[in-house]
Amino acid sequence: MVEPALVIEALEYRYPGAVTNALDGIDLRLEPGELAVLAGRSGSGKSTLLRAACGLVPHFHGGEVAGAVTVGGRSTRDAGPAELARSVGFVAQEPETQVVSTTVRAELELPLELRGAGPVEIARAVEETALALAIEPLLGRTTDSLSGGELQRVALGAALVTGPPLLLLDEPTSQLDPVAGDELIALLRRLNEEWGVTVLLGEHRLERCLAAADRVVAIDRGRLLYDGPPEAFGRAALGAAPELATPVTRLFQLAGIDASPVTVKEARARLRAGAGPAPAPVPRPAETQRPSRRASGSALSCRRLRVELRGEAGPRAVLRGLDLDVDPGERVALMGPNGAGKTTLLRTAAGVLAAAGGSIAVPDGAAMLGQRPDDYFVRERVDEELPGSAGRAALAAVGLDVPGSADPRDLSGGERQRLALAIAMAGRGAGGEPSGLVCLDEPTRGLDRARKDDLAGWIAELAGRGAGLLVATHDVEFAARFASRVVLLARGRAIADGSPLEVLGGGWYFATETARVTGGRAITPEQGAGLLAPDVLAREGR
Amino acid sequence: MRPVLAYAPRPGPLGVARPWIVAAYLAPLAIVAFTIANPLLLIAAGTTAAAAGALSAAGPSIARPLRWSASLAAMVVAVNAIASQRGATILLRGFELPVVGRIDVTLEALAEGAVLALRIIVALTVFAVWSACVDPDRVLRAIRPVAARSALTATLVSRLVPIAAADGTRMAEAGRLRGPAAAPVGRVALTRRLVAGSLDRSVDIAATLELRGYGLGIRSRRPRHRREPGEVGLLGAGATGLALVTSAAAAGSTGFDAYPRIAIDLGPATIGLALAIPVVMLAPLLAAWRRRRTAGG
Repeated sequence: MVEPALVIEALEYRYPGAVTNALDGIDLRLEPGELAVLAGRSGSGKSTLLRAACGLVPHFHGGEVAGAVTVGGRSTRDAGPAELARSVGFVAQEPETQVVSTTVRAELELPLELRGAGPVEIARAVEETALALAIEPLLGRTTDSLSGGELQRVALGAALVTGPPLLLLDEPTSQLDPVAGDELIALLRRLNEEWGVTVLLGEHRLERCLAAADRVVAIDRGRLLYDGPPEAFGRAALGAAPELATPVTRLFQLAGIDASPVTVKEARARLRAGAGPAPAPVPRPAETQRPSRRASGSALSCRRLRVELRGEAGPRAVLRGLDLDVDPGERVALMGPNGAGKTTLLRTAAGVLAAAGGSIAVPDGAAMLGQRPDDYFVRERVDEELPGSAGRAALAAVGLDVPGSADPRDLSGGERQRLALAIAMAGRGAGGEPSGLVCLDEPTRGLDRARKDDLAGWIAELAGRGAGLLVATHDVEFAARFASRVVLLARGRAIADGSPLEVLGGGWYFATETARVTGGRAITPEQGAGLLAPDVLAREGR
Repeated sequence: MRPVLAYAPRPGPLGVARPWIVAAYLAPLAIVAFTIANPLLLIAAGTTAAAAGALSAAGPSIARPLRWSASLAAMVVAVNAIASQRGATILLRGFELPVVGRIDVTLEALAEGAVLALRIIVALTVFAVWSACVDPDRVLRAIRPVAARSALTATLVSRLVPIAAADGTRMAEAGRLRGPAAAPVGRVALTRRLVAGSLDRSVDIAATLELRGYGLGIRSRRPRHRREPGEVGLLGAGATGLALVTSAAAAGSTGFDAYPRIAIDLGPATIGLALAIPVVMLAPLLAAWRRRRTAGG
């Protein structure tokens, strides 16, 4: 009989000093060769469960634990993370703290050296792992010269180089653009299919990985919510945790179609089989039309903007002659692959970087929120960060109502984001109004869909009060939700600029799931439902 | 952000040689910095170290530490001029300073401070060349079989430094992005946050090290490295440099006294040694540099 890759029995865990259990009676059994997706809201216990499965909980984090975890036949009570590392590899969310060596080659060699492997074994394993993950060209590079996506692959390589049969990943695509994210999921599928690696993948963007999964495990507040095939997950999610439902599941639910397809291909097939051919074009929803320019002038105006970043090899042009205007009240999603210049544009608009050529004008000032809201907090109380009436006005401008005595780091993820933005905006707008331009850099990192909807809500609120919103994001579903306009950057230039429907409706990578199902005629489930609803179809005689 | 003393793979013998050979090569220059007070020899050693870095394509990496050490050196000269009240040649008499009171500034105290400053500059330059050219992973790999705990600590620190530098840069940028009505950041608050954040980061790095297998206690095999091109030349230069420096010191031809009046040994032996140090030490690097240029067309 083949030994299970992972067995978790009645697992309860409480972090040191916590009052509630992070995991509360989890039972889970993964058979060798399975690829399971671990779903759940932010703070539901996904990361803790993954850490328990590799022995970091409780060996490294401490706390109180009950129940049992067995990895490759060894109990995590008896064996620590280092001993279990032959049976399980773990890749955490933050790639910066996942590498401990100076060069990529040394990073891959280290786990083998620490296990006493010989030079031949080390050389073979490093080369094979590098080839499997397509990081062979990176072997001679220093780790501090790698991008976030490259670091993520190197961390994955270091976890795989000892050949563990079980691989645990905690939101590995959170920092990747859609192209790199899809590539990583495809790579995991290949590892699973060709080398038989069992995979447990914690992920928020389920639409990205459900198609590759054999099974879905969903948890909520530390308890098992669902454990079954992806085909049945959609219905279960709609009943118990609607925010976990994928866009295509919501699309079918809103359209009143009794099906829950997992992939775009299945959704199209279902429509072909049960609902006739794809629906005819209907007028585009009004909210996706690009708004007309206001007479009051731009919140941001760039003309032939050129910005260079200084590196080891001298200055490198990141923005190369960019022309862009953002009007007051516009909600612009700035998209494009890693390295396209999105963050550089935001930093230049906020005055952190200077233009090397061309011009940039931000007449009413810009407030910028970086990728890590916690970087903005240097004091222990909210009212110390934002003192006086101007501070209270800034909090009101972002709709945040928390006690002044609260520690910023104790607030929820969404509240921390709003507080950081309030700190960035404080005193910039007139009479408590937001500043002319508000820049957000990858604000959905690590957020579940409910929090993304909240974020989209207060972006709309800020825009309604006259601010121009410029939001750099890799998240096409979120862009479709909040944006009134999408600008696609590539190699430092705007290569597409139009309504969300125009930009996100027709592409391969930069397209929402709904757009793929509806052939680009709708980009959100709500819009798509209008096209697919049975009464619409009936009206059209299909 | 890359830290100031950042290693990067570099061409030339110093970039590819085994760490102990680079250490043997740089040893005579470090010995000059720590044991010899003669300014002429210190200048020769410092120039040689900087040239060695430049010939190994590490010029930009040692330029910043050099600038730092220059400001530190200026401070050392100033403090020594105030603190040392010895010397026969008074340049400023009865100079009044708060707290310290009435002081004289002497030429000899300035000279002694300048020699101390030169020592600092030479030592930091040698260290900068080592940091820029020697792969820390190779050093740690060599240490690991004999001192696993020290290697673990060094690994943790060597990874934490660039992460803390990147965190500090980001937090400073967030400080610049604060609105005018938000409380100013302040260095103390920023430093406190950075330290607290570094503790969190070090826990994450320690978890990664644990997963990589540091806790296993298996004795790593001592790595075997093949001989790299240029290593013989480096060893020869290091050995010759060491012989020159120790024999000159033993012969008493490296002298410098600041008090009561400045006395510098500038005899033919000292001048010969000052010329020999760069010639001997840079010869293998120059030869490799010429070969690279010829090969590169």
